[in-house]
Order: sequence, then structure tokens, then C-alpha cells
Amino acid sequence: MPSLPHQLASDRRIPRLVWIGVVAGLSAAAHGSDDAFFREQVEPILRERCYECHSHGEKIKGGLVLDSRSGWQAGGDSGPAIVPGSLEKSRIIEAVRYANPDMEMPPKAKLTPGEIAVLEQWVARGAHDPRETAAVAVKPGIDLEEGRKHWAYQPLRDSAPSLVRDQAWPLSEVDAFLLAKLEAAGLTPVAEAEPHTWLRRVTFDLTGLPPTENEIAAFLADHSDQSHERVVDRLLASRAYAERWARHWLDLVGYAEQIGTEGKIFAEHAWRYRDYLVESYHSDKPYDRFVREQLAGDLLPAASPEQRREQLIATGFIVLGDVDINAIDKLKMEHDFIDGQVNKVGAVFLGMTLGCVRCHDHKFDAIGQQDYYALAGMFRSTKTTFKTRHGIWSNVHRVPLPELEEDRRLGAKHEQTLAAWRQEKAGLESESKALAGKTDAESKKRLDELTSKIKALDLRIGHGEYFHPGKPQALAVADVGQPADMRVTIRGNPYALGDTMPRGLVRVAMWGPQPAIPAGQSGRLQLADWVADARNPLTARVAVNRVWQKLFGEGLVRSVDYFGVRGETPSHPELLDHLAHRFMAEGWSQKKLIRTLALSRAYRLSSEGAPADSENNPSQSDGLPESAGRNKIDPENKLLWRMNRQRLDAESIRDAMLVASGRLAAPAGGPGLPLEFPENLSGLPLNEKGNHPQFAIKTERASQAYERTLYLPVVRTGTQPGTARLRDVFDFPQPAQLTGKRNETTVPTQSLYLLNADLIRQRAADLADDLLKARDSDEERLGRLWRRVLNRPVTDVEREDALAFLAETRVGGDDIAAWTELARALFGTNEFLLRF
Amino acid sequence: MTTLRHSPFSRRAWLQRTSAGFGALALNGLLQAASSPLALRAPMVQPRAKRVIFLFMSGGPSQMDLFDPKPLIQKKHGQSVDAKLPEQHRHESTEKLLALGTDIPVRPRGQSGVTISDLLPHTAAIADELCLLRAVHADNNQHGPAVLQIHTGAIAEARPSLGSWISYGLGTENQSLPAFLTIHPGIDTRNYAASFLPAAHQGTPLVLPSKVSDPAIDFLTDPSTDAATQQRRFDFIQRMNRRLVERDPGDARLEGMIHSLETAFRMQAATPDLVDLSKETEATKKLYGIGEKTTDKNGRACLLARRLSEAGVRFVQVTMDGWDHHGDIRGGLPKICAASDLPCAGLIRDLKSRGLLEDTLVVWSGEFGRTPWSQDLSRTAPIEKHGREHQPESFCAWMAGGGVKGGLMHGETDEFGFRPVSGKVHLHDLHATILHLLGLNHEELTWRHQGRDFRLTDVYGEVVREILA
Repeated sequence: MPSLPHQLASDRRIPRLVWIGVVAGLSAAAHGSDDAFFREQVEPILRERCYECHSHGEKIKGGLVLDSRSGWQAGGDSGPAIVPGSLEKSRIIEAVRYANPDMEMPPKAKLTPGEIAVLEQWVARGAHDPRETAAVAVKPGIDLEEGRKHWAYQPLRDSAPSLVRDQAWPLSEVDAFLLAKLEAAGLTPVAEAEPHTWLRRVTFDLTGLPPTENEIAAFLADHSDQSHERVVDRLLASRAYAERWARHWLDLVGYAEQIGTEGKIFAEHAWRYRDYLVESYHSDKPYDRFVREQLAGDLLPAASPEQRREQLIATGFIVLGDVDINAIDKLKMEHDFIDGQVNKVGAVFLGMTLGCVRCHDHKFDAIGQQDYYALAGMFRSTKTTFKTRHGIWSNVHRVPLPELEEDRRLGAKHEQTLAAWRQEKAGLESESKALAGKTDAESKKRLDELTSKIKALDLRIGHGEYFHPGKPQALAVADVGQPADMRVTIRGNPYALGDTMPRGLVRVAMWGPQPAIPAGQSGRLQLADWVADARNPLTARVAVNRVWQKLFGEGLVRSVDYFGVRGETPSHPELLDHLAHRFMAEGWSQKKLIRTLALSRAYRLSSEGAPADSENNPSQSDGLPESAGRNKIDPENKLLWRMNRQRLDAESIRDAMLVASGRLAAPAGGPGLPLEFPENLSGLPLNEKGNHPQFAIKTERASQAYERTLYLPVVRTGTQPGTARLRDVFDFPQPAQLTGKRNETTVPTQSLYLLNADLIRQRAADLADDLLKARDSDEERLGRLWRRVLNRPVTDVEREDALAFLAETRVGGDDIAAWTELARALFGTNEFLLRF
Repeated sequence: MTTLRHSPFSRRAWLQRTSAGFGALALNGLLQAASSPLALRAPMVQPRAKRVIFLFMSGGPSQMDLFDPKPLIQKKHGQSVDAKLPEQHRHESTEKLLALGTDIPVRPRGQSGVTISDLLPHTAAIADELCLLRAVHADNNQHGPAVLQIHTGAIAEARPSLGSWISYGLGTENQSLPAFLTIHPGIDTRNYAASFLPAAHQGTPLVLPSKVSDPAIDFLTDPSTDAATQQRRFDFIQRMNRRLVERDPGDARLEGMIHSLETAFRMQAATPDLVDLSKETEATKKLYGIGEKTTDKNGRACLLARRLSEAGVRFVQVTMDGWDHHGDIRGGLPKICAASDLPCAGLIRDLKSRGLLEDTLVVWSGEFGRTPWSQDLSRTAPIEKHGREHQPESFCAWMAGGGVKGGLMHGETDEFGFRPVSGKVHLHDLHATILHLLGLNHEELTWRHQGRDFRLTDVYGEVVREILA
């Protein structure tokens, strides 16, 4: 049996069965011999070999109990266990005979032939069972009314903040909501952070990059009331903003430029989806539109070929997750992929965990198998993979994109190149033919030359035909020819089918009837409309909470991907609803939402004042009664009396070093994998009988060393290539995982990387080189170094320390080496790694 | 018994324990463990083993050729057998179900009579130490998912690896080293990943250098800078870091990061020595086949595993590739047997002679086994050149040392060697048993993730009590 997310099997927390114990009269005497047969021969076998897993006293695996007649009559997940009189139809007989490898009982050791014979005889004779004390399984099912009482499924309620005592503190309603809670708890917020700290914070949070020397100077010199606004607006308008937030979204998608984990199969069109995200964030595409495009872009009307392209590419969301495409069992592969899609839609947009409902009703939330298969049917009705002609390989579905003028131009040019190569090849071949059979040394030498030239040309032609710029494609979806409802798969086994479930939406979060799905359609459009509807209680809440978490370190709901019953409850439910409401009222604009949050007072607060351990360090608290109170009442800072610190993510660490050294390349885009080098590919020219073409990065694209980390290839197996290696060290999420909030771990391998990695040394050398170009004094250089790496002025103590370090390290007046070492040191400090 | 959930390991609790101040940190030396997620923790139940060495035979060793002889198959060699196989178990080029007998005998060994092939003479010589599981069962017949399952219990999702769960459950005894090291792992990092567990529990890959100058752990050394400059730079960083802590003494993460840098700097010093096998005696090297062409790589890996275990690393894995014989198994199998037999047996002998075998659990297994009937992808080869297809339905694994009965065979398969008929051990059961031997209850070692308490064994798994010593 496949291993699936927590099946109901051994769950003992939820009472799934209700006893209806009735002791009835004894069986009729006519059954005397049957009675004896059962008591003496059948029951001992059941008791000794089956009860351990199938009785009320012990476990009820598969929903089946065998300690009562009604137990086997009702049967388990797979239906009645015994059909009296029929050995063929009785699953229990099939199971004990070990006739079906997926259902062998008892699982550890087969019954003896004698025992099997007893059970066969019993069933064949009508399965007489005198046990009248009946335990009737009553499956309670899903209580939708009760389920909807959970806060997250309740409609949004917009309210005004309560009045606060300190009227001067709030800069906005956001602040008023926060302050009201703080005051109610008897707390006051800490002071604002220093201006350069705020600037570093907001620049990293909004763009993933540090402020430049000029930006720091401009902000510190701007004493107007609009100084903060000017910074935030400048950042939001930058492409860097879009790049940063596109990466956040990719964490939710399972994005990689590799398909599956078997072999190294390239996802050569995946980058289009990444670039689509950058464009969408850059243009501040309304979030409801953004949702619709990703779920059903192929089904939306388009006003132009450009729009059609964009919408098709957007559906990459559905297919760019982890899928095992090297599978013999295609039915199972398909079901596993669908499971990933249902799970993704649930977690990303709705904060629901749906994956477990594949096998059984949700244990905590009012989500039933009906809901799961209602959604799963939509994805079953969607083309997401296709079988290749290479062995057992499948691949992710691709869609040809409408050709634009640019494609036609590039395509025509490429055709010319290909034609020239083919002509060259033909010439070589005819020369080769003419020489064939000649035995003189000269001819043989020439023949060898020709053969290797033809081979090289073959590779170029094969490569050029495979990666044809004139025929743009996207990894995307389309509806299947005959969309259909799906049947429940019992315990996730696609070969064991239960009832058919009509396609539809998740009932607990619905406000009206199920939508009608037009014949011939998958239903994804209806799904998209429901998710993107202002009445959906989850969508806006989940979205604003994700944004909040990126800016404040923790979400208002801390379990950002799970809003269900077992998730965290919101620390500020009114604020969450207010923001969700406002978000929609402002046209689902993420930029406006971010602007509001980044310009709040709360976002300006210092991050200092975390609780010191009073038992071990009584003297280390700052001694102020307020501070003690804050830490005592709210040590986890749930009320946000200070800013939460965050470790820079892997991308920011690498990108910040590029900015600091002045070497960050202009925004790029396009394929991350350097597949333009034929030597990075195997299996070309394409041979359909051969293995699936694969990549292995032997040649890197030199320019990538200076591009933002977003644009570097992401692979699923092995270490991340080239300088993207840094991702592996600093908590980059595995592409197989959906990660709303990344880990921030502290492990020695990170420290080793900071101390020794060549990448750090190179960036430090670039930075030192840049500093030494100007005819500055060492003191001036130190000031610049600090502003570039830590984005603040150097202190006197640090200046002295650094000058001493330089003097000791400068052997024989080698300035560049000493400054490189100092820059390396700064890149290794905790202050560089954290955003305060 | 307490459920290991958030309480003792929450970030908060950790942070609170960490704030002992930097001064205390330096004094505590190796005992500063309390500040890290790798802090030493007491087991839940009486442990029988303290550490694990997992010898992973990647590719799927053929159990029939090595440990579980089948007279019927032998008798029917080259003929079709009627195994009543449902459609989904008939794979490419195995449709005829041609019995493929073994050409090398598998015989009872030692006092106990554990059956082992002549292909594994050194393993045969330690038969009485082995607990041979003959009806192990897994769920998937493709390498990727099956390898993932033996490492994490799951087939498709990324879940924490066995070593990560153990690291989380017990912590580490040596703060200069990670708790989970994996030597020569395959390319799929999910197999040694911590997944949703704190990253400190992830496996650290280790590749034995082919050249002495190559580091065995990534970024372990800085060849570009002299030692004095490295020390100076390290000191400068720590001075910067300490000034930062002084400004805001409440943030325990800052101390955690200082600690981590300290450990890393110590690892730089300690690890090269640990991975340097040159100081071992010639006799020891010979025990593992080091210096012999066929066994050198695996021998060095196994010796390193012993050294790491001895140094307090909780979970060490050694992967040996080369068991995937779809064709010409009679030609291919002897090669990997020769390359792995002495190193594995040498490890058991070495552990035993050092008194380490008592509390070290050694597990030898592939991700699945191979079919009793032949596979011939060429469709033209004579039966002697056939291979075998993957078989998760039943296969063999062995355990030795800490808490398991030696000289025992557990489990039986049917006359074909296809289905278990008794003593079936699912990979979940194997995982449950390994945890049990380490003093961890597989049902209670949980981690809350996305609203659910996850386990290594999901909702499955039973301890195989019959094999406990």
C-alpha cells in the first residue's frame, strides 16, 4: 500500500465510532452446530489473528472491525468485508489468501492453510455469526455548520480601531489597532530605530537589496515630512521590488528549472513563469487578477496575443511543482501530481491543508473527501503531463505560445543559421561519400576529420532544432477533451475506487451554492472565480498576512500557510480583517498594502529589547521597568511592541555583496539554466528511442556571477550550481516544499561558508578593489566600507580596531589583500547577516 | 514518557537557555551544548544502542542471490514459473517470469546457520553477529521514491531523514561535529535533509577526497589565506559580534551565531584530523581492505564511519552504489559484492574488537530487492546473461550490534521469493525498530508542522520485537 499522509488507520484521538451496545437474546437453537463452529473454530482465528488491528478493544485499521457481526457487515473503507456465501466477493477471503498484493491480511504472516480453510468454510456456509453485541460504526461526517464557526471561515468584518490614549503615536489606522492592544495589555512600544536602521530595513524588505551610499546620504539629508514616503515610493517603483516579491511567490510554487528528481531533466521554459511574476509585481497586477491568471489563465478571454501569452504562462503555477515523471505506474503518477496541485491551491491561496483529505476526511477542519475530490476532479480534467517517447518518462505539459513579431524575427534568423549548418553538413557528407572506400593515408585522415566535423554539426543542429527561439512554449496547462468528475480513491490507491464526487468548491468556505461547471470545461475557471471573489473569507486574509509576515517577521497569523483549526489564531483579528478589507477596496493592490505597512509607526520601531534570560542574567535586562514588563507580559512580541529581527535570506546575502562591491548586473531574465551550451546537454540530437535529454552544467554562463540570485538556475537534486551554491547553506527551501515562511537557522556549515567560501572572498576582493580606486584616506575608506556593508557610519572603536587589523594584515604594503580580508570579515559579521 | 514536541525544543526555550552570556560560553567548552538544537537529550525509553551506522546499498541488492535461496527457482531455472502475478507486477521484459537460478551457492553459516552467499565470504564469516531480515517490504519500485522511503519513510513528499529524526531526538555527543554525517550520498539531497525539522539536524555530506588536498567537508578550509590571517579575521569578526551583543544583550540568537562560528572554527581544526585515516595501523586498514583496488573506496568510508561514531556522531551513513543489475547479474553482482563485502564485515569486526558493537547499531539494506524471475531488456540475451527487475514486495536486510539478536533469521517469503509469508517487516517497522533501539518511541517522536504532528513512521510502523536481544 502506498505511504500516504496520515491515514485514519491508527488514529486514536478522535472517537470515530459510537457504541450502540445491545445485548439481545440468544440465537435460535437451530443454529447450534453453526454456533459451535463459529465459537470453536472461527472466533479464535479472528481473535488471535485479526483483533489486534480490527477490534474496538485495540485498533480499527481501515475502518474495519471484526469483533461483531455488524462490524464485517458494515465493512471498512473498502466496503463490506464478507458477502455470506460468496468466497469470490468476500474481501476477507481475498485478503487472507494473499490473492491481492495490495491487500494481504494479516500483513505480517499469512494464516496457515488450515486456518484459511476454516474461514472459507465459514463464509461459504453463510458466515453465521452469533455475536449480537454490536458495535455499529457511525461515521459522523463533516459538520459544516460547526466548521464554519472557525474564525477563518467567517466573513470579513471591517471595524475601526478602538480609541487610544497616546493619540500622537499612531501614524495610521494600522498603528491605532496595534497601540490599542498594547495599551490594553499595559504596554508601551519601544522607541523608533535610528534612521539608517529603518532605511536598511525597508530597502531589504522591499527590494532584497541594501541601500547604496548615495541612497543613505539622500535619506539622512532629507528632513522633510515626506522623507519616508519618498524612499518607499522609490523602492516600490524599482524593478528590484518586483524581483524580491516574485521570489517570495516562487517559494510557494515549488519552482525549479528541473522536472522531477530522477535524472536531470531540464524545465527549459520554466523561466517564463518566473519572469511573468516579476512583470506582474512590477506592474502591481491586482491580486485577484493574479490569482485568476494562475489558476485559469488559459480559460480567460484575452484582448491581444501578448495578453494570451501572459495568461498561458501564468498557469505554470499548476505544473511547476515536484512531480516524479520517471514512473511506470502512470495512473499513480497522475494522482500524486493532482494531490500536489490540490494541496498547493489550498495552502497558497486559502491557508488550508488539503493533502491529507486524499485518504480521509480532515481530522480538524470541516473538509471532507467530497471537497478534496471536487477540486481534484478539476485537475484530473486538466492536462498537466504527457508521456514522452523515451522509455517510461513523462514530462510536464507544454503549450505553444502565440508568436509575436520578435519570435518570427528570431525564428527566421535561426532558420537561416540552421539551413547554413545543414548545407555545410550536406557538403561534408558528399565529400565523405566520395572518399569512402579509399585506403590511402591522406584519405583516411580526411575521412576521420569529416566524421568528427559532421558529428559536431549534428549536435549543433540537434540542439538548434530542440531550442528553437521562433517557437516559444510555456510549461502550462489546458483542459482535457472530456472533463469529468472524479471518484474517491480509497486510501489514495488509484486502483481502489469509491464514489464519484461532482467537481466543485470547498464547502466550508462557500457562501452560496456550488457553481455550474459548463460541459466540456474542467471547472478551474469557477475555482479561480471563487478564490478571487471578495466574499471568499480566506483569500484576502491569507494574502495580507503573507505580506505582513515578510515585513514584520511574523504573520498576524503565525502559521502563514495554515489558517485551519489547528493553526495559530490571529494576534490582531480586527487588524487582519481591516487590512484584508482595505486591500480589496484599494483594488487588490499589493504595492498600496506594502506602502501602508512600511510607512506605519510600528514598522519604524527599534528591534532591540528582546528578553534577556532573567534567571541566568538578571543584570542584563536594560533595567527599565517598562522593558521588564514588555518581556514579562509579551516575551514573544506578539503585540509588536518592537520590530522582529530577521536573518537575511540566501538571495539577499548574495545580492547584498554584489551591491556592496558595486558589481550587481542590470536586471536580467530569461533562462537560468545555461542550455545554450550544447556541452551542458546529453541526449541530443534527439533520439526518441534513446534516453530523455538531460542537463549537466559543465559550462557556466559567466555573466550570471553578477546577476541577482533570483535569475540563477534552481535545481532539485544535487547542489545548486555555481554561485547559487550559497542557497544550500542559508535555508533556501527545497523546491519540493511549499514554504510561506523560510527557516532561519544557525548552523556551523553557514559559518564555515562565511569564513572560507570563495564567493565571499571574490566579492570582498571586488569591494576592496573599488574602494582603493578612489584616492581616499584609510579613514574615509573605512567610512565607505561600513556604509556599503553595514549601511551605517563606522564607530570610533571600530575604526581603531579596523586600522589595527589593516596594519597587521598589510604584509609588504599589499593594500588590496588587507582590505579584502577586512571586507571578508565584515561580510562574516552577524550584523551584516541580520536585518534589524 | 513525555512527548517530544515543542516544549523542550521551542525556539524560545532554546533562546532562554542560550543566554548564559558569552563568558560562560567560552568556559563551558564542549558542554555548551545546551545552547544548540543539537544539545544532548535523554532517550525516552531504555536505549540499547547509542549510535547508528547505516550501510546503504543503493540500487537494490538481489536478496535471492545473496541471502534467501529458493529451491523452486533453482529447479525451474530458465523456465516460466506460475507465480499468479497480477498485472501491475509484470514489468518490462519480465513478462515471461523466467526463473533465474543462482550460479553461486548460498549456504548456512557459522553456529547459527544464517544463509549467506559465497559471494560474501567475509560477511559469511561474521554470520553469527547478524540478524538477517528476510521479508522486508517497501512500497515503490522506482529508485527515486524507494530510496526516499528508506531514508524518510515517505515516497513523494520531502520529509525529515531518519538521521535527522535521531539527531532531533537525542542530540549529539560531540559539539565540534554535526550529529548526522553521510558519506558518499547520492544526488538527491532530500535523502539527508532535515525538511521541516530545524536545519541543525540535516545530514552533512562528506566525500572522501581522492586527493589529500581536497577537503572532505565543503568550505572546511581556506587555501587562499595563511593561518595567522584567518585567526586574525576570525577574532575581528567575533569582536564585532560581541560588541553587537553588548548593545542588545537580550537577543540570544546573536550568541547562538557566535557559538556557531566558534564551532565552525573548531571543526576546521578538528575535522581534518578525524578524516585523516593515515594514522590507523596497517592491520586496521587491512581489516577494511584499504589499499586494495576493489575495496579501497568503501573500506575508507567504513573506517571513517567507525572513527566518526567513536567520536560521538550519532548517525553515520555510508552509501555504496552498484547493485542495480537489470542485465547480466551473474557478471555484475560479484563485482559490487567484492567491493563491499570486506569493508562491511571489517567494520563489524573492528567495532566488536573495540567494544563498540554493543551500543552501535549497524544496518545494511538496499531500497528494495530484485525479482526471482529474470529481466532481459535486450530481449535477445541467453538466460545466463539476464538480470533482475526491482522488487519492493520482499527483500533482505541485516542488522548487527546494539540490541539485536545475532545469528538470527527473521521472516520468510513464499516459494518464489516474492511475497512475505511470515515475519514481514515494512520499512516503517524497520524505522520504528531502529528508533526503539535508540530509546525513542516512534509514535511519540513528533514535530508539529502545518497544524499536524509528524512522525518518521507517519501512522504506521511496529517495533519488530522478535529480533530484540
